[in-house]
Amino acid sequence: MNRLRAEGFPEQAIRARARDGAAAAFPPVESYGTTVYGATGAVHRDPLDAIRLAPPIFTPNRMDKLLDLAREPTYGDVDLTTVIGGFTAPVPVYLSAFGSTRVAGPDIGLAISGQAGRLGVPVVIGENVVPVNGYGRLGAVGERSLLRRVRAYAEQLPDGLGGLVVQQSTEDADAEVWNLVYSDPSTRSLLDSGRLGFELKVGQGAKPGIGGMTVLDRADADRVGDQYSLDLVYGAESGRVLRCSSPGTFTPEILRQQIRLMRNNFPRAKTWVKLHPGRDVREAAAVAWQAGADAVTVDGAEGGTGWAPLAFLDHVGLPLGECLTQIDAGPHCLLASGGVWEGARAVKCLALGARAVGLGRAGLLAADEDTEHGLTRLIDCLAFELRLLISSLGEYAPGSVGIKDVWAPGLPVPTHTMPLAGIDTRRRQ
Amino acid sequence: MIEPVQAPGPREHLTSDVTRAALRLQHHMLTATRDHLRRAGFVELLPPIMGPVTDPGVRGSKQVDVDYYGHRYKLMTSAILYKQASLLAFDRIFYVAPNIRLEPLETANTQRHLAEFHQIDVEVANVGRDEILEVAQGLVRSVVRHVIDAAADELDVLGRDTGAFTDLLGTPFGRISHSQAVSELHGLGHDQNPDAEIDWVGEATLSRKASTPFFITDYPKGSRGFYDRESTTEPGVLRNFDLIAPEGYGELCSGSEREHEYRAIVARMRETGENPAKYGWYLEMVRDGIPGSAGFGLGVERFTRYLAGLDSVWQTTAHPKIPGVVSR
Repeated sequence: MNRLRAEGFPEQAIRARARDGAAAAFPPVESYGTTVYGATGAVHRDPLDAIRLAPPIFTPNRMDKLLDLAREPTYGDVDLTTVIGGFTAPVPVYLSAFGSTRVAGPDIGLAISGQAGRLGVPVVIGENVVPVNGYGRLGAVGERSLLRRVRAYAEQLPDGLGGLVVQQSTEDADAEVWNLVYSDPSTRSLLDSGRLGFELKVGQGAKPGIGGMTVLDRADADRVGDQYSLDLVYGAESGRVLRCSSPGTFTPEILRQQIRLMRNNFPRAKTWVKLHPGRDVREAAAVAWQAGADAVTVDGAEGGTGWAPLAFLDHVGLPLGECLTQIDAGPHCLLASGGVWEGARAVKCLALGARAVGLGRAGLLAADEDTEHGLTRLIDCLAFELRLLISSLGEYAPGSVGIKDVWAPGLPVPTHTMPLAGIDTRRRQ
Repeated sequence: MIEPVQAPGPREHLTSDVTRAALRLQHHMLTATRDHLRRAGFVELLPPIMGPVTDPGVRGSKQVDVDYYGHRYKLMTSAILYKQASLLAFDRIFYVAPNIRLEPLETANTQRHLAEFHQIDVEVANVGRDEILEVAQGLVRSVVRHVIDAAADELDVLGRDTGAFTDLLGTPFGRISHSQAVSELHGLGHDQNPDAEIDWVGEATLSRKASTPFFITDYPKGSRGFYDRESTTEPGVLRNFDLIAPEGYGELCSGSEREHEYRAIVARMRETGENPAKYGWYLEMVRDGIPGSAGFGLGVERFTRYLAGLDSVWQTTAHPKIPGVVSR
């Protein structure tokens, strides 16, 4: 068999579908738990990649810094301290949500919580950890439970820095994740010090418009079958089952009222909202801020730590740069995640209006490289690059970076901040 | 961090004159409640203890899960959904219902939260908010009138001057809207969120200024559960109320007109972050039709605390469960 050939056509992919059916809509299931997935870049390029950071020659803000210090400032004088969604962080960086997916646990999930806690970097704990892995309050504290991750983070946290954000999506509401965390004695120190937050998960970048997905063993799937829909894409006889969350139905009024209810029910916790890169992301962000969200995260169509259909990784959702260009954050806290691991992309995000950037797959890989120090070193390097890049722009705080600091075809001409008498400062067309 | 109040051990608590007087007073209150409601045509039903779902509209508190033949059931945080269902049998029903709420730890010091408490749960078919406010006012007055005579000795032991109830018996309970309450609190320098419940401090502030119980009406959507009916003429405003006791005792009772139409209930479930899938039996019943209604839950221990003039609500129950305080 297989004598037929089709030059220039994706023959192998078609043959895989002919063999495996719906299972072939995903990466090979054997890679689940050992691989993180994302856009291949073969189909689209994020506008962020086309942007260049554009240091000026005249640097009035460096002049202010010079006067302040009474010496020439250097990159070491950039203060990266940033208030992220109500939490103070030493760098404009937070750890994006890792859910119950196998790559995030048990060791890596704990390693990330511990290292981020030591640094005082805010961390989001993903949806479905409680319904799938348990909270860990009664009986033994399971390695993958939410409580174990909370403790690993809170025990290391320096005074005055960081914050723990717990995500909930539609099905997690059944397990009352937020009610549980808010009333639990182990989170009290975080709550009393204003360092607990809740994130409403409206969507995610890896699979915009659909809910969370993981692959479960049959025994685990039976346990959570009451809460989630299960799909036998790997065959009725397979030991593996696809677990799907619903994306949840949102209208502007539903989003507005869910945020208000969060603020009503958990007045001492910060309120974060995570949006997928939808075509109406600008309107959704505006609704969230108007309803009182402390932070809105936009997760660009880049990838994820869980499990996503191949079609979504390369073809669905707006690129992160497009989302940032569309959203007008004004004074509000906009957070950006998606493909961030080094300083240039991070500073571009800041320039397009983000207050801070989230590490997703990069955080997992770093912790996988070294569970004790991997994430710490990754963030050290990122912070070093941030200082270099921000100082090159003549600025000394992440919040001072703006649209004036980037160049790209089609972006508005930057306006000069320093008046130059007698000189036409308009860009020559 | 304020450490939570510690109640005395069971022997000291149950043999104290104050506890005995408070519990006897409560006994008279329940007798009066039953007499009053029966005379008004209500049927007393025994309350459900658990079910596949319970009242989700309870700020920040955790429900208690029960392993029910391998399925997760909940102990009642309130029986609101079952009250609506019970109107398929009778038009006017009430329970004296136990409720369990694992309240946030900060409520251990409000002096009016218990993790286990009881409500006089009333529901009436085919009435609106004005009628249910009359029912609540009538019930409170009737109970107060009864205990002034029947429990005079207990009130004496408790040191409660019954003159405190003269205005309650003589004047209709006042009404202010939530937005008026917010304005008043802002005028007093209290930073009340206009989109949310009146917070504990705000509520105590308003309560201390009053000499009779009063209703706060028209809470904003986003502050209550999906079953409180949204106004058809003022979108975003709920046809609900709280009854606030004077002298700083705070909220005694919450109630509302109820949503009863399928489409409105599903939309409101989503607005309150709920997953409609877990309310199967309820939505199926609603889809087939349930009567419009209004009702309330009057906290037995809070009402007792107010009538007894006691400092804390745990003093009005034989076996107090203070939020976060665990007996070994």
